[in-house]
Amino acid sequence: CSEKDLLDTVPSTSISDANAFGSATRILGLVNGAYDAVKAASLYGGRYLLYCDVRGEEFINVTANSYTAYESWNNSYNSGSNDINNLWSQAYTAINDANIIIAGLATSTGVISDTLNAQYTAEARYIRALCYFSLVTVYATPYNADQGASKGLPLRLQAETNGDNNDLARSSVAEVYAQILADLDAAEANLPDSYSSDLLNTTRAHKSTAIALKTRVYLTMNNFAKVVEEAAKIVPQTTAPFSTTSYGVKHALQSDITTLFGTTYTTTESIFSMPMTSTDSYSGQSAIGYIYNANSEYYLNPSGILGNAQWGTNDKRRSLLRVASNLYYLKKYAKASPYVDYIPVIRYSEVLLNYAEAAAQTGDLTLAANLLKAVHARSDASYTFADADVATAAALVATIAVERRIELLGEGFRSGDLLRNLQTIPAKGSSSLQANAVEPSASNYIFPAPNNELTTNKLY
Amino acid sequence: RRISGKVTAKDNDSPIPGVSVKTTGKAIGVQTDAQGNFSIEVPEGVTSLEFTYIGYQKITLPISGQTVNAKLESTTSGLNEVVVVGYGTQTKKEFTGAAARISGTLVKDAPVQSFDQALSGRAAGVSIASPNGVLNNPPVIRIRGVNSISLSSYPLVVIDGIPVSTGNISTSTSVPNNPLSDIDPADIESIDVLKDAASTSIYGSRAAAGVLLITTKRGKEGKAKVVYDAWGSLTKAARLPKLLDATGYMKYKNEAVYNAKILGGNENNTSVAAELFFPDYNADGSLVNTNWYDYIYRTAYSQNHNISVSGGNKTTNYYLSANYSNQQGFVVDNEFKRKSLRFNVDHEVTKWLKFRAGGAYNTTFNQSQNTGSLPNSTFLLIGAARLATALAPNVSVYNADGSYNLSSTGTLGMGNNLVTNTLWNAKALFDLSSYTTENDRFQGNVGGTIKLPYHFELNTTYAMDRLRTENNTWLSSQLGSSGYSVGGSATNVSALRNNWDWASTLSFNNKYRKHHVTALFGYDVQKFETTTWGAYATVAADNFFTNYEGSYSTVAASGNGRSEKAFISYFSRVTYDFNNKYFLTANFRRDGNSALGVNSKFGNFGGVSAGWLVSEEGFYKRLNISHIVDNVKLRASWGRVGNGNVSNDYASQSLYSSSLYGSAATWYLSQAGNPDLAWETSKQTNLGLDLGLLNNRIQVEGTWFNNDVNGLILSAPQSASKGIPDNAILMNVGSMYNRGWELGLTASVIRKENFSWDASFNYTHIKNEVTALASGNSDIIGYTHTSSEASNVTRVGYSVGSLYGAKTDGVNPANGRRIFINKAGEKVQYSATVASGESNWTYLDGTTAAAISASDYYLLGNALPKWYGGLSNTFRYKNLDLGINITYAGGNYVMNGTKGTLRDQRFYNNYTDISKRWTTVGQVTDIPRLVYNDQISNGSSYPISANVEKGDFVRLQSLTLGYRVPSKVFGTSGITSARVYASGNNLLLLTGYTGTDPESSSNGNSNTTPGIEKNAVGQGRTFTVGINVGF
Repeated sequence: CSEKDLLDTVPSTSISDANAFGSATRILGLVNGAYDAVKAASLYGGRYLLYCDVRGEEFINVTANSYTAYESWNNSYNSGSNDINNLWSQAYTAINDANIIIAGLATSTGVISDTLNAQYTAEARYIRALCYFSLVTVYATPYNADQGASKGLPLRLQAETNGDNNDLARSSVAEVYAQILADLDAAEANLPDSYSSDLLNTTRAHKSTAIALKTRVYLTMNNFAKVVEEAAKIVPQTTAPFSTTSYGVKHALQSDITTLFGTTYTTTESIFSMPMTSTDSYSGQSAIGYIYNANSEYYLNPSGILGNAQWGTNDKRRSLLRVASNLYYLKKYAKASPYVDYIPVIRYSEVLLNYAEAAAQTGDLTLAANLLKAVHARSDASYTFADADVATAAALVATIAVERRIELLGEGFRSGDLLRNLQTIPAKGSSSLQANAVEPSASNYIFPAPNNELTTNKLY
Repeated sequence: RRISGKVTAKDNDSPIPGVSVKTTGKAIGVQTDAQGNFSIEVPEGVTSLEFTYIGYQKITLPISGQTVNAKLESTTSGLNEVVVVGYGTQTKKEFTGAAARISGTLVKDAPVQSFDQALSGRAAGVSIASPNGVLNNPPVIRIRGVNSISLSSYPLVVIDGIPVSTGNISTSTSVPNNPLSDIDPADIESIDVLKDAASTSIYGSRAAAGVLLITTKRGKEGKAKVVYDAWGSLTKAARLPKLLDATGYMKYKNEAVYNAKILGGNENNTSVAAELFFPDYNADGSLVNTNWYDYIYRTAYSQNHNISVSGGNKTTNYYLSANYSNQQGFVVDNEFKRKSLRFNVDHEVTKWLKFRAGGAYNTTFNQSQNTGSLPNSTFLLIGAARLATALAPNVSVYNADGSYNLSSTGTLGMGNNLVTNTLWNAKALFDLSSYTTENDRFQGNVGGTIKLPYHFELNTTYAMDRLRTENNTWLSSQLGSSGYSVGGSATNVSALRNNWDWASTLSFNNKYRKHHVTALFGYDVQKFETTTWGAYATVAADNFFTNYEGSYSTVAASGNGRSEKAFISYFSRVTYDFNNKYFLTANFRRDGNSALGVNSKFGNFGGVSAGWLVSEEGFYKRLNISHIVDNVKLRASWGRVGNGNVSNDYASQSLYSSSLYGSAATWYLSQAGNPDLAWETSKQTNLGLDLGLLNNRIQVEGTWFNNDVNGLILSAPQSASKGIPDNAILMNVGSMYNRGWELGLTASVIRKENFSWDASFNYTHIKNEVTALASGNSDIIGYTHTSSEASNVTRVGYSVGSLYGAKTDGVNPANGRRIFINKAGEKVQYSATVASGESNWTYLDGTTAAAISASDYYLLGNALPKWYGGLSNTFRYKNLDLGINITYAGGNYVMNGTKGTLRDQRFYNNYTDISKRWTTVGQVTDIPRLVYNDQISNGSSYPISANVEKGDFVRLQSLTLGYRVPSKVFGTSGITSARVYASGNNLLLLTGYTGTDPESSSNGNSNTTPGIEKNAVGQGRTFTVGINVGF
């Protein structure tokens, strides 16, 4: 054989960058690849939810194992912590995957239709926005502390495939939010109304997905008017039943919340979820089903939401818990290995609660109460809210906050809700393990910057 | 008259058949018979006899009386000794580079799995350390230091002309598989170590870390010789730390629990426990007191048998051998087995055509539990070494009913202790899991030599090396197995490494009067193809199944890969010597490497060397000193070699890989490439002086060397926010040097009829310094297993992979808190528990301080030994022989990370030294106040300088006592020689290092993370008895 044949080897199990955008199938594969990066174990594959949940007061850690988020539980992360480095790297990997798609599609013509080109770009921008939002809410000072004036994140908006550009200064929190919203607005404009299957509607972004995420982003910025404006697009009604009627996917609450966890992962309530199959799922400490359920590493804090009167004993949502030795464990992710429970990222009930809170804050108490009750009554129709709980805007906001803790337990919301309201992270503990309270002024109120950035980016 | 006598080998008294015995000056000659006897008719006037035999020095003895007995000395020493160089041989006299030769006899009886493990201390400039005590783990070999940062610093290993795979080819982090163990050490005739560029540059780009040329045994003319060698051994763990018993465990743990309660401001809070550790009792009422060492370590027994037949006539020689080795490691379940067969044949077809062939077939089997000792397994919860020290001693292994004592999730049940344990019950874990890797390999070569007119010779060799490896892992579905949560799992991964090499040379060799010229031109092409595929099955249908072939409900692909790599090389060597006094050698090689960037696949390498045999000069011979120093040779060489040994065959390419998003196919950037990725080059200068004293009884070799490495290939760290896969791209950035000198001394101290003492000593002094690094010389951080353990730093101005971590300054006598030094040089103290509102980190005045992070880390010391070497002595008294091999190294620091585990303040057991912990105000100690769940003060969470210790040591590597059975005992049995011996390995270690072993390396052969001992099993201590029998 010739010298050239011998030396110019090419792999048969991967393709070169020159061919990555070579066919419609491959371009679709790249889009799915960016979603898959979001689905990584340390991000929305589950562990990001775990970090955000156990920081709050709802769970008690059992194992003191730093590989299963003990450091998040007792707020002792340092720059070298695995979780801190892996979460950061993974979210930025997804961002770079999105940037590669955006850049590639900007120059690639003729392989796919312009419509599809615009749609894929929109999906990439949605992914980029989701990742930046996931990072900025944990690694940066909360927006509401100073209207985003603090330093935020290095804002990487171009595809990185070589050794250049290691140094990039942080943009402000406000600039990061502005980019997130710009991406989501652009995504909304070009995403399809719906896809051809329930699976795709749940696992790929469509118009309502971008809008739903915007309600979360604006809520985090206390921009309640915009929350109302966005929510109204996919929740056009003012009284129950609420559902999306103006777009392709008719998002609505399901009658039984337990069907979302373990039975049907692709209902219209699941706006965006991470799909799991036996050939694409996580195991061991990478799987939150293993940590919460199989290995029983966190039980519900009796003095957390578990003991709250708003969470009645007949509430269907209590059937998403299990009891062992008088301790309650979360079983939203209850499948045994292989851990194929989908991981929820956005549910319609969250949008309703986002909407409710914003409505309360903007003075529409009736709508706020209607939305709150719709979410609660779905799981516990017998419960009636005391007037005092819904009479004033302040009372409603507080009640909605409690409802969020019940409804979204174990879905990664608790610490984010504390931080956006600049509340102290409460102390918690058992007889053997304690975690102290963390004031908003404390340095560990947010996650420390990871070493893998600090040591390589001189401008950080 | 007729003279008779017997010819024997000087070193072992065995008779030598086939020795040519001639009357001096006459053509009359005979050969010795099978018993070494001869009888010759000697004409009048002849006063002496000449004895010649291949491989032995010619000897002339005077005739006195009727009997002349001759003892022949082998030619393994002296100037006429043959040195194997790349694609040929030279005599030591002609050789002008730097090399060392290690005889196969030094490795064949060693209780090792692969020959490389037995080379410790045997040659100057060659450092060999065992990173852990797991069988068949590749040793850390460094020839003249670390010569790369990202690429392998393992030397090129060439076996009978074919470069072979090295390193660890197992796909499991539990069981290692060093492919060099596929070679039966007893088949090795010699190991030649090429050290300087002038010698190695004939291997061009592949030789930057030096070359080991392995020559296997071949037959010699004469009657068939049969050799049987066998040994049996016993190995035990050495230097295990002394741990707390059940009572001590409860005492110190509860003290920590109580301290945490007080420090947390919960002194009067009844909901916070004051004690969490309570005793368990056996049925007979006695306290449960488990020594986990009993379940993890053992006395291991091994045996090894070797038989060979070799011989030949004038035209055909053959060597056949068989080996069976069955070895146990001192960690339970650790096994190594080898069966191998080898044949080597040489045939002279005609005067001008020679034919040779050789081959070996073997199977090797490796089994081990996870010991946490292999790279990337340090922090695994299943690591045996950590379990051995950390498991609670106050709970039992079994329940009263004989079942394993387990928690509801399968970890060790904690009895009456009120804490949750994340560590496994070692006994259950080991019983319920297995990790194996097995090789099936054929290595063969066939070649010919054609003598052409005008002193030319054509040589060609085709070699094949086909290695199939099967890696199997089984984890039971039963509770107590680490596979319980996935319903049991089994993984099989099969790998095929197909490697062929075709090398041809045209050489010229002629002497014309005082001029001696040799020239060599060659072409070598080698291709490696590697294919791996496998599957991972989970959810066993029944816990009956113990392998992949059983029934499982979920099966997914695992370990798939396919790659190929090729080297194409053109090379040439010219040597010239004048009057046996002046020697010149020049090498050139042009190499193509498929793994490098499209713009830089080829590189040119080469070297020149010169030697001057001063002692051949007339003026020197007239000096008085020439009577003492009878051989003086000056050597100088310069060369440029390369390194393109990137581990990834497609390292330079930007690649996209495919995976799944649920059930949808994906593509994603899996590797950011660099089309300009080029060779690392090292420019090496070598100056040497060889002396032979007292009729060459003492030989001294001194060499100064300087190796400047440029264009270091570096897995250059990229900002994590760029989102590049693995946050790294391979680039040519950085440079460093290794500079030093080495000294080798061999001496026949005493040579008497009945007593001899031979000694050899070597010493190497080396300085490594990084002179430039990527993007403005930023540090390269090395991690041990996880990104939270930033354990090493490669920094300009320091040696590669220096120790790194948080700097500490003892324990505050006022409050027992560990004092750290932050980046501003300020003292900061830490308490694992504080009351709400207080800070864990404070200045000594109590004000809040920022937590120590990696930005506060300091470089804590060099991890590479600055000096190392060996001393070996062989004593012979009549039929007794005694061998002592001592190795030493030092000038480096070791991170005793295991100390962090031994002081870990979770539910882990501690060592007995924990009694020195701080308890009272004013107490000065280096062990902080015990605070339950404290993982920072003692270096569990990240490395601290308090655990850095000096690594200097002297080791009694081996001590062997042998007895040669007098040949008269054998009578007519056919046995010609027999020796029995007993030896001990690693009998004694003199060191101030308090960890298990200063040579440990949790990161194996990694260049950037040396000197870390963390949760690894140390070296065993081995006692061997053996026998060598010749027929």
